[in-house]
Amino acid sequence: MKRIAFVLLSVVLMLLASHAGVDAKIRVVATIPDLADMARNIGGELLEIKSLATGVENIHAVPMKPSFATLLNRADIVILMGLEMEHAFLPALLEAARNPKILPSAPGYIDCSVYITPLEVPTRIDRALGDIHPAGNPHFNLDPVSGKAIARAIADGLARNYPQHEAVFKRNLAAYLATLDTAITRWQHEAAPLRGVKLVSYHPDLLYFAQRFGMEPVGTIEIRPGVDPTPGHIVELEERMRREGVKLVVRELHYPANLAQTVAQRTGAQVVELPVMVGGVPEARDYVSFIDYNIRTMLKAVQGG
Amino acid sequence: MRSIAQVLIVGTVCLFSTQALAQGTPGQTRTPDASAQQLRRDLEIMKEQMRQMQEKIQQQEEAIEKLSIPAAPPEPIPAPVPAPPTTRDREQLKQEVREEVMRDIQPQLSAATKTFPSQFNPAIGLAIDNIFAYRQHEGNNFEFRSAEIGLSASVDPFVRGYAFFNGTSDGFEVEEAAVVTTSLPFNLAVKGGRFFADFGRLAKFHDHDLPFVNRPVSVDRFVGGESQANGVEVSYLLPIEHYVTLTAGIYNKIGAENDRVSNEVPRDLGEFTYLGRVATFISLSDAHSIDLGVSYAYTPQVAIEEKAHRQLVGLDLTYRYVPLSQAAYRGLVWGTEVFFNRENRPVGGFPTDPTIPSPVVFERNNAWGLYTYLEARLSRRFYTGFLFDYAQALDADVGDTKAYSPYLTFWPSDFQRLRLQYTYRDQPGIPQVPAYANQVFLQWTIVLGSHAHSFRDR
Repeated sequence: MKRIAFVLLSVVLMLLASHAGVDAKIRVVATIPDLADMARNIGGELLEIKSLATGVENIHAVPMKPSFATLLNRADIVILMGLEMEHAFLPALLEAARNPKILPSAPGYIDCSVYITPLEVPTRIDRALGDIHPAGNPHFNLDPVSGKAIARAIADGLARNYPQHEAVFKRNLAAYLATLDTAITRWQHEAAPLRGVKLVSYHPDLLYFAQRFGMEPVGTIEIRPGVDPTPGHIVELEERMRREGVKLVVRELHYPANLAQTVAQRTGAQVVELPVMVGGVPEARDYVSFIDYNIRTMLKAVQGG
Repeated sequence: MRSIAQVLIVGTVCLFSTQALAQGTPGQTRTPDASAQQLRRDLEIMKEQMRQMQEKIQQQEEAIEKLSIPAAPPEPIPAPVPAPPTTRDREQLKQEVREEVMRDIQPQLSAATKTFPSQFNPAIGLAIDNIFAYRQHEGNNFEFRSAEIGLSASVDPFVRGYAFFNGTSDGFEVEEAAVVTTSLPFNLAVKGGRFFADFGRLAKFHDHDLPFVNRPVSVDRFVGGESQANGVEVSYLLPIEHYVTLTAGIYNKIGAENDRVSNEVPRDLGEFTYLGRVATFISLSDAHSIDLGVSYAYTPQVAIEEKAHRQLVGLDLTYRYVPLSQAAYRGLVWGTEVFFNRENRPVGGFPTDPTIPSPVVFERNNAWGLYTYLEARLSRRFYTGFLFDYAQALDADVGDTKAYSPYLTFWPSDFQRLRLQYTYRDQPGIPQVPAYANQVFLQWTIVLGSHAHSFRDR
């Protein structure tokens, strides 16, 4: 009996010790690799960062794995894009994670959309419009200037939770913003040939990117966000593409290739395959190389390279 | 005099520029940080404008001098050196601009942040489930299966609440109405009220969320349909990297259709049902995973069965293949649950006629059952699957039930589903019931309003 009591007591003490935590690093879980990369730049060695998505997923269909709940359970901070981008998996995972530090009402919940002016904010909230996001289009990570706002939100969020490291976060943020500024100047120069180019994408992922570099999104292969096209919609889209001289069909890599290729072939357009997150292709190792890759790929298509 | 004029002009330009800046951002809800970048750029532009204006003023003054004193040789006018704004001036200017911008946008900010009492209303969703059924030996029927209203919201910083009200052709009932803690320490969560007890997997699904039209016979027979229970449940997520949860619960009974125990009659502690469950998740790779759980429900005394105890054990295993980049288009699920039930049953079974007195001879009877299904996602819209179901009868001398059900599911969108299912049901040994039946179902299900993706319904 004494032995059983001893074993039970040991187990309880072990559990308590594991909850106490001895790691000095701040445990951060980011929903997408873009946010993980920025947090790494801003928090440096102070953070231990994990990303839920690897970058190849459709962000609206990231599998809800129980192992994610465990990661979130042990996190001090969760960093998310916001604007309901992660609605398919994050709210349920946060509920399963049992971690009051990172609930939406807690300071450990860092929403990176706070400094973004959203595009495509619906004037009517209706499922007839598809799987719309009531607060606006959430794919702002494809625009590098919005990337600066994301970085600021991360730095501010980290400083809010760990004011003792605020100076480090601010310093690293300034350095990271300078890097982005340099890259943005270069991208804006390089992307000049994209100005005025019309495009069709599978899903409205490209809106912020197109606005930044002066491109014109004409429509989507999906009939509505999150709703697969009907044959009638494809016929209408193709007619519109011919009428408006659209020469680019962007296939985000997690959408099927066949339909995008068929639409492109029928309209004399070219298919451009783009990742929508860091890690979507091997070349997109971090946020800067991700934007680099997208601009380069888009330019190649436009310039016929 | 000239220098005073210059100062006045520069001041006017500053004020004008400040106003222009303030007017240049109508209705924008910029944050102070976002404005800071813009402010810096605007300041640079302003400085350049000031320099150009000072040059112009100087040129004009030179021209006036020339015209007004023709006789005298023009004296060289020292070029006015515009005093570069000091750091203090710049900061003051920034502050003024910031305040001006904030004054401008404050009405919009206030309007945007207004709240109304109705904003605290819970999220509301409605699921409507209809089927057309053909059952051999019975006939055809359009069946309104349910209209289920779901509500959920945070109650306070410590708990949230949710409820499902289910209207069926039999009436209206509270299917679930529970409170769940959100902020307990040590990874604990407590749930209380009426809810689906944490037994197995598919017993915790609402009817319209099942992967096929009907709940497997084995779940209906052993659990009693949905694992609805009035009681309290504590669960614990182990603080380790591997996902493991432990659940313990105490309830009046488990099973919405379990009529062996009443929810209405007060009882001794020995007549409650006690539950223990352990569940884990094994990630084989990014795309392949297994969910595994073992559940045990123990009722020390079942009143209707001579206060003998009842034990129900369930083992659930779900294998999933979800290719990360194609999760919305491809996938495979193999789900299996095995049940073992041990309880006292009357010899010859309970009489179907309530006027006949209950039998007095009871015997211990063991029974087991299982279902297993394989479902493939063919595209974004189409799934197909096959369900095999086997359940022994709880009473001795009654034949086993087997069912085979291929099905095809079509999702026009995430909120609308059509499903066609064929079932061959084999159930010999029940008097007045044909030994087999062919059945065809066409199901049409929709969801209105809020429908959160639940961790429980994975």
